[in-house]
Amino acid sequence: MAIDTRVILICSGKGGVGKTTLTANLGISLARQGFTTAVLDADFGLRNLDLLLGLENRIVYTAQEVLEEECRLDQALVKHKQESNLSLLPAGNPRMLDWLKPDDMKRIVDMLKEQFNYVLIDCPAGVEDGFKNAMAATQEAIVVTNPEVSAVRDADRVIGLLNTNSIKPVQLVLNRVRPKMMANQEMLSIDDVTDILALPLLGLVLEDEQVIVSTNRGEPLTLNSVNSPAAKCYLNIAKRLQGEDIPLIDPAEEISGFGAKFRRLMQTKIF
Amino acid sequence: MNSKNQKIIINIEGRNYPNWKIDLKNKLKTLKSNNLEIDAKNIDLSCKEISEIIEIANQFDCKIICFCSSSPKTIVSSQSLGYKSQFIIESSSKNTSDEHKKNLTFSKTHFHQGTVRSGEYLESPGDLLILGDVNPGAKVSAEGNIFIWGRLLGIAHAGSKGNSKAKISALQLSPVQLRIAKKVARGPKEKPQLGLAEQARIDSEEIIISPLETT
Repeated sequence: MAIDTRVILICSGKGGVGKTTLTANLGISLARQGFTTAVLDADFGLRNLDLLLGLENRIVYTAQEVLEEECRLDQALVKHKQESNLSLLPAGNPRMLDWLKPDDMKRIVDMLKEQFNYVLIDCPAGVEDGFKNAMAATQEAIVVTNPEVSAVRDADRVIGLLNTNSIKPVQLVLNRVRPKMMANQEMLSIDDVTDILALPLLGLVLEDEQVIVSTNRGEPLTLNSVNSPAAKCYLNIAKRLQGEDIPLIDPAEEISGFGAKFRRLMQTKIF
Repeated sequence: MNSKNQKIIINIEGRNYPNWKIDLKNKLKTLKSNNLEIDAKNIDLSCKEISEIIEIANQFDCKIICFCSSSPKTIVSSQSLGYKSQFIIESSSKNTSDEHKKNLTFSKTHFHQGTVRSGEYLESPGDLLILGDVNPGAKVSAEGNIFIWGRLLGIAHAGSKGNSKAKISALQLSPVQLRIAKKVARGPKEKPQLGLAEQARIDSEEIIISPLETT
């Protein structure tokens, strides 16, 4: 039985910035480091964490059935094919959007806490009920954002809400960083983002086309493609989450290795 | 030696600079204690002036424990230099002759420490003093003046009940929109010079931004 379970909410406000991708990759990375990890898809209206993990066809029960006591928790948990430390708990049925209340979320997470070292909650976009439900059961949070004005604005709003609900610590992941565009000042710089959001930066994730490939395949990048720049970033974030002191990558340095990266991209096999 | 804190009142009304320094030095000479509590009354002191006071105190081997003042600006300045500061609300029988005080009688100053984030809304029935940034998407409003010890990147509305003498001051003034009383203005397009505090007020029916006066 795990004692100190960390329940981490992964949220962003804006959609499409990479919450689900981060959840899946972080889940795999933590599981690889030997931690029993549960990923909970709280985006039950438009769930797709199961797709990213390639587990769609294995889902039989959801958290909804667990709460209604139609099945046991371990029946609903879907173990990952390769990474046995990782389990997915799908939140519910997309056709029944109103069933989940903040208290239900707390009950599910309390059940998961008994078995896992880490519980990662993949939060839906927006700041409405879905977000409030997901927030109810969590202690700490990771806010994902892109170096874009709209994503930063929404992240700021979410951070304000997290603060007022005394969720601590809240850390920042800056996703889809394009070093070249940053160098040319065509994109918000890392300082621009951290200046406004005033949060400790947990990590940067470089823009990587292989993310799309891996999403379509249902195999998170961290599972096998060690060469991918984004996969390295995800692994580093997982290590930093446990307090390991790993320096952040410098986007300026990544440009010099661009030729190498391009060659690697050419070698990537798609299907 | 007396180990108790000694409270000294600095009197620099009239802004006679060479004199107030001498005055302060004379006061320090006669002190029995090394721990000072500085009462700046209702005088607005900038960071620079407070640093000067600290420097003079250091020359006399005195340690400043805390600053008291009824001026929000002095409080913000001393806090930013890392000193304990105490905000004192003046009694109504004070003998201030400041003309803006006559025009603006505020019930109280509302303090807020920390960033005001997107979607948040802060309102005050008197003055509003914010130690932190006002981010884009956030809105702050006060019936009196607004002082921001940080960046104003969102919307600020001073004199929200129609006081056209109200002012908005910030260390970096690059708002989306400024409102004073019933006037509305869009923020400046160019970024302001770094390290230059600015102030917005109404001048001949227009909202204008000028460098913050250090008086």
